[in-house]
Amino acid sequence: MHEPVVTLRGVVKRYGNFTALDRVDLDVPAGEIFALLGPNGAGKTTLISIVAGLVRASAGSTRVLGRDVVDDYRFTRRAVGLVPQEINFDPFFTVEETLRIQAGYFGVALSHGRLEEILGALDLAAKRNANTRSLSGGMKRRLLIGKALVHEPRVLFLDEPTAGVDVQLRQSLWAYVRTLRSRGTTIVLTTHYLEEAEELADRVAVIDQGRVLLVEEKQRLLERYAGKTLRVALSAPASALPESLAALGARLEDGGLAVAVSAAPGASFGPALAAIAQAGLPVRDLETHRMRLEDVFVSLLRRGAPSEET
Amino acid sequence: MIGLGPRTLFLKEVRRFMRVPGQTVLSPLVTTTLYFLVFGWSLGSRLREVEGIPYARFIVPGLVMLGAITNAFLNTSSSITVMKLQGTMVDLLVSPLSYGEILGAFVGAAVVRGMMVGGVVWLVSGLFTGFGLSHPVFSLVLLVLVATAFGGLGFVTGVWARTFEQVNFFPTFVITPLTFLGGVFYSAAMLPTPLRTLTLSNPLYYVVDGLRWGMLGRSGTGPWPGVAIAAALCGLSLGSGYVMLRRGWRLRG
Repeated sequence: MHEPVVTLRGVVKRYGNFTALDRVDLDVPAGEIFALLGPNGAGKTTLISIVAGLVRASAGSTRVLGRDVVDDYRFTRRAVGLVPQEINFDPFFTVEETLRIQAGYFGVALSHGRLEEILGALDLAAKRNANTRSLSGGMKRRLLIGKALVHEPRVLFLDEPTAGVDVQLRQSLWAYVRTLRSRGTTIVLTTHYLEEAEELADRVAVIDQGRVLLVEEKQRLLERYAGKTLRVALSAPASALPESLAALGARLEDGGLAVAVSAAPGASFGPALAAIAQAGLPVRDLETHRMRLEDVFVSLLRRGAPSEET
Repeated sequence: MIGLGPRTLFLKEVRRFMRVPGQTVLSPLVTTTLYFLVFGWSLGSRLREVEGIPYARFIVPGLVMLGAITNAFLNTSSSITVMKLQGTMVDLLVSPLSYGEILGAFVGAAVVRGMMVGGVVWLVSGLFTGFGLSHPVFSLVLLVLVATAFGGLGFVTGVWARTFEQVNFFPTFVITPLTFLGGVFYSAAMLPTPLRTLTLSNPLYYVVDGLRWGMLGRSGTGPWPGVAIAAALCGLSLGSGYVMLRRGWRLRG
């Protein structure tokens, strides 16, 4: 794992009696796309808001590139770009003015080349002189990304970047996120679209009720937790599961109208199919289902994570 | 040398109010000019002189002060409230701008608007009463101090307010009554004792009277009480604004 660019140790955030983050320890390695997954209200936005300086932690230490986000905020904020979840825009200014103003806040005089690059990458070049009020929702979201990139941050936080975005725009945003990573930008993504995390992330953290349940490379996570399921639909209900199938871990579903059996990723369903044929069960249809990140996520949230994985 | 960050915020704030000149400059100009015409002409023909000054001239410093105070206050309070409601405050809060830079840029732009409106009111009034200024540097310094104080108060109000109704509370219920009852249109010496005492307990009376000394060379209380009050208000409002920013009160979760 690369050196962490963002480090949280024992971070707690309380709002009155409500604990939004509970003793969070987290390392975000450099140069990766890091997905923070969790249900609504899990604490994802609070966590990235603490790193970006929008929210102050109640306890614990948060560092970006080794510097504290409170004591050394001028340094850490230059290193961080944030694309907030809520779309915002200032109706007094055009797209180009908005980008120049945001760069100015960071002490950066936006060069012509950099401006063109951002406008081009986010497909906003034709709208550079348009008032931000006149932009579509998708364009406003792309402008948010542009604003977060004007000072060339080392770490980019994307808080639900594709919420309410159409499929085409989502694909183009994903492509741009990969381009940024290839240039060395570390991306931290919060999303509750598991498909997005599965598509993009190198590493995944699962957070629920303010606690980090697990941090794992996505591929290893899928290998560790993933499996597959064979589901055989029957044309007549079976009253009981034959012993040979029960021995393979099969179960009856849909009131006996289906037999389901799960297996590890590399395992064969041959014995199960042979047992079904041998038992003379009337097969109507069959399908296999490979576990995806979504299944892993749901299963993790249901049972919580084992302590050695946190 | 002011850095690019605060300079950007300052210029953005100035451009913001210059983009809507009808609302930010012309509207107060028309309102204040109407005050001048109605009060100056209608009462001027009957009062003739107050403290040895023709009435139409007597009210000019108060109108200039009213324009500067109101506009400096509204610039910061409305801008910050709009940023909070539109969510663009996030853009500022994630930036590396220091608390002092943020406060300075906002208040600086408020001073520009306050001085601009005050200056335009003075120019229009000058068409009727003449452009002579007894102590121009003093007048300028006092106006800048007052605009800074009320720009700072607007900043504090903007951070505190959660709705526009709350923003309007101060100009409607505090600033306008205090200014109107602060000797814009009359001298305390003209009032019966109880009302005179009330007027003399209004801090804005001394500020208006101080500007009257600066612009016309005469006033009931002289220049320095007004300067002292304006400086104290500056310290109070800027200090409060700085502490609010530092603590992140109503800005950072």
